[in-house]
Amino acid sequence: MAERSLKPSWLRWVWRVAALKNGFKDATAYRIEFLFEVLGAAVVPAAIQWVLWYALFKVGGMNEVAGMTYTDMVQYTLVSLLFSQVRGGDHDFELSELIRSGQLSNYLLRPVGVVEFIYIRGVAPKLFIASICLVIGMVLGLFFGFDPMRMFGAMIMALVGNIIHYQIGAALASTGFYWEEAYSVLMVKNMIVSLLSGELIPLNIFPESLQWIWKSTPFYLYVFGPVQYALGRWTHAEFFMQMGIASLWLVAGWLLVKISWGLGMRRYLSLGG
Amino acid sequence: MTSQTVIQVRDVRRSFRSPKKEEGWKGTLGLLVSPKYESHEALKGVTFNIESGSFVGLIGANGAGKTTLLKILSGLIPPSSGDAQVLGFEPFKRPIEFRQSISLVMGQKAQLWWDLPAVDAFDLIRAIYEIPTKTYRDRLGILTDLMDVKKHLNTQIRRLSLGERMKMELIGALLHWPQVIFLDEPTIGLDVLAAHKLREFLRVFNQQEKATIILTSHNMDDIERLCSRILILRSGEMIYDGPPGKLTREGELMLRVRLMQTPTSEELQAVTGLSAKSIDLKTGESAGEENEDGSDLKSIYFHVKQDQVASSLQKLMSKYQVVDMGMEEQSLEKVIQRLYEDERG
Amino acid sequence: MAKMSRYIDSLKVQIKNNFVREAVYRSNFITMVAVDLVWMAVEFSLFSVIYSNTPVLAGWTKHQVFFFLGVFFASDALFTTFFQRNFWQFSDLVNKGELDILLTKPVHPLFLALTRWFNLTAWFNVVLGVGVMIRFAPQAGFAGGWKWLLLVFWLLVGVFSAVQIRFAFSIWAFWTERSWAMSRLYYQFFAFATKPDSLYPAMIRYSLMTAIPFAFIGSVPARALLHGLEPREYLQITLVLIAFMVFNTFFWRRGLRRYQSASS
Repeated sequence: MAERSLKPSWLRWVWRVAALKNGFKDATAYRIEFLFEVLGAAVVPAAIQWVLWYALFKVGGMNEVAGMTYTDMVQYTLVSLLFSQVRGGDHDFELSELIRSGQLSNYLLRPVGVVEFIYIRGVAPKLFIASICLVIGMVLGLFFGFDPMRMFGAMIMALVGNIIHYQIGAALASTGFYWEEAYSVLMVKNMIVSLLSGELIPLNIFPESLQWIWKSTPFYLYVFGPVQYALGRWTHAEFFMQMGIASLWLVAGWLLVKISWGLGMRRYLSLGG
Repeated sequence: MTSQTVIQVRDVRRSFRSPKKEEGWKGTLGLLVSPKYESHEALKGVTFNIESGSFVGLIGANGAGKTTLLKILSGLIPPSSGDAQVLGFEPFKRPIEFRQSISLVMGQKAQLWWDLPAVDAFDLIRAIYEIPTKTYRDRLGILTDLMDVKKHLNTQIRRLSLGERMKMELIGALLHWPQVIFLDEPTIGLDVLAAHKLREFLRVFNQQEKATIILTSHNMDDIERLCSRILILRSGEMIYDGPPGKLTREGELMLRVRLMQTPTSEELQAVTGLSAKSIDLKTGESAGEENEDGSDLKSIYFHVKQDQVASSLQKLMSKYQVVDMGMEEQSLEKVIQRLYEDERG
Repeated sequence: MAKMSRYIDSLKVQIKNNFVREAVYRSNFITMVAVDLVWMAVEFSLFSVIYSNTPVLAGWTKHQVFFFLGVFFASDALFTTFFQRNFWQFSDLVNKGELDILLTKPVHPLFLALTRWFNLTAWFNVVLGVGVMIRFAPQAGFAGGWKWLLLVFWLLVGVFSAVQIRFAFSIWAFWTERSWAMSRLYYQFFAFATKPDSLYPAMIRYSLMTAIPFAFIGSVPARALLHGLEPREYLQITLVLIAFMVFNTFFWRRGLRRYQSASS
């Protein structure tokens, strides 16, 4: 569009910033609830993890599981909290709901991509949480003798993971163009992610013969990967290699969204919205 | 049949308080620690009786206290002070016999479940009110005939038009043959035809079954056609209780005049001695007809009491050339509108 | 009580109506079952991974944990069948004023509020849960026979407990407009119910048996069936459930009063 290209390029960022602000305000409008949600989402899963380790090591009397001691496990659990808070939210559900309810049509009138718009709105509170977690992580790192820069790199990886998570979610949400119950696909995805991202258990305790399962999805980049790097269990070289893999997933995810939404949208429009 | 008093209301007051929240974190915490409340008075001492079998209209501007009064009478909320009795019961105690013999319909709140066909939703009502199956069938037959919705009984309610849906709501509210029916804005959002049918139904039901009906509405057609008596609330006080006809007769008349000149409102006030509010230069009941003879002279409307008509006209004629004049009785709508405006002015 | 017939008849109609409703929305059956199967697969995988490193966990063998998962799954599915959605709607009921209509009906408003939605397809999951129990009963050391009758009793205890706990988390709708925050909190705590309570350290275990008795949903029934409970525990369960009923009744009345004094 000729008209659009006349606009200065910074203008294209205006709506993104606005959407970010709006999303942040929306999520924190009820502060107490926001706080409750973040705390609840953090404390309970951690407590459950810790309980498992307690049962394994203290009650069960094990000294080492897959090369990890009780201390290693608890460390893993605590640090994984910082990243599981940053892991993708539920805004892919919002997409499927938009399609199902037909409200998508309202968005088509706006000069912004709906997939991107919903992402930016949804990611706003996550960015806020990520920066807080980063500060906490760095302070903890200083205290316990981990390199704070590792924490920084790990947080970058977790944010990349957040994008990949949404890309996959958005692609799956596009099944909503064909099927009313698309949200269930997203629920199934989230359950699989909870196991394979490493937020429930460190992935290296998987039996050797099953390790390939988590290695073949990008989910471990959300939580397990960042924790490994932050705690110094990955070398810098390994980290950069994993970031390389992450960027391949990013590109793949981008293509996936383009194609699935392109097809879906064509169908949506041909059915009259 | 001698009529009995079914509703007795003695000096009923109702105030309610709502928490006042201040902005930001402080406000939220403050709300948790030491909440501040604002108090409002929704009803300021209302007294009236309603005879069995009557059809009473309850009107007033938004926030005048109509819904509050209905909620007190149907037992949803207690009065802050005063005494209300419905069918000899104290409504707020909600004894089961009381709930069994009243019905509350709120135009903006659906009670039937939208994802079921009406006939299944009605079946639940039958069970809740323990209506014997035979009686239930008879009543359902009568009501669906009256409303002309028999063919829609097996349609999911959400697929019905707003008008049909409201009819179903009413049927659902009447299946247990209540002695007292409270209707809060039943015609809201309905088109002219659907509203007319609903009114007709209510009229017939009231006449045939001798049920007492109390209706609130902003639609004066509802009130004029149905109610033999109206109660007008303004800011929680009752300002009128009587037949609707009396209100229009007693009230002001509208003097319509056309002048050769085009005086301003101020000039007219000076000449007639009437207040600005009583002079209507542009709008008016029959504003659309003003140019029927092709002239472009505008009609001016004066809202005057009967005994002021002659003197006002005299004063006008002494100053201006009167081309045309006429008297119009005010419609209920207009009278009520002016009553509301008085409150603000 | 003469009123009983009214409730029974209404309940029958509610069930019939839910059949009608589900006949209209057939499509979600397979979806629901699939989602729950995956959930179960995840839980089984989690414990399989952990048990690949140790034979016994806090006195529970792998098969006993699987048996527990079956009990928990069936108990939770029963709750889902009859109550889950009704509780999700509870906040709307209060905050959108739908309670008004219910209060004018000649039955208890909570009866109507909590029997409105059934999820009849979740019955399949009850069957599934029982199937899992049967499959692992021998290896878990469950005697079976007449003891399967005890299962019915314990499942009822599980569902009753879930209702009481969920109610205690929902009742705040009267005081806060966004009570879904409390609903979320319920489901976060609920995660504790998904593991046998013997695994937990004493403090948490104590809480799960008293203040937030999520252990009653699956752990306690499974333990009762596999190992039997101590006499002290029977008393404790009874007292805690009575306390919850008192608490809930008290706050329901308080809430109703608040609802009625705040509205105009």
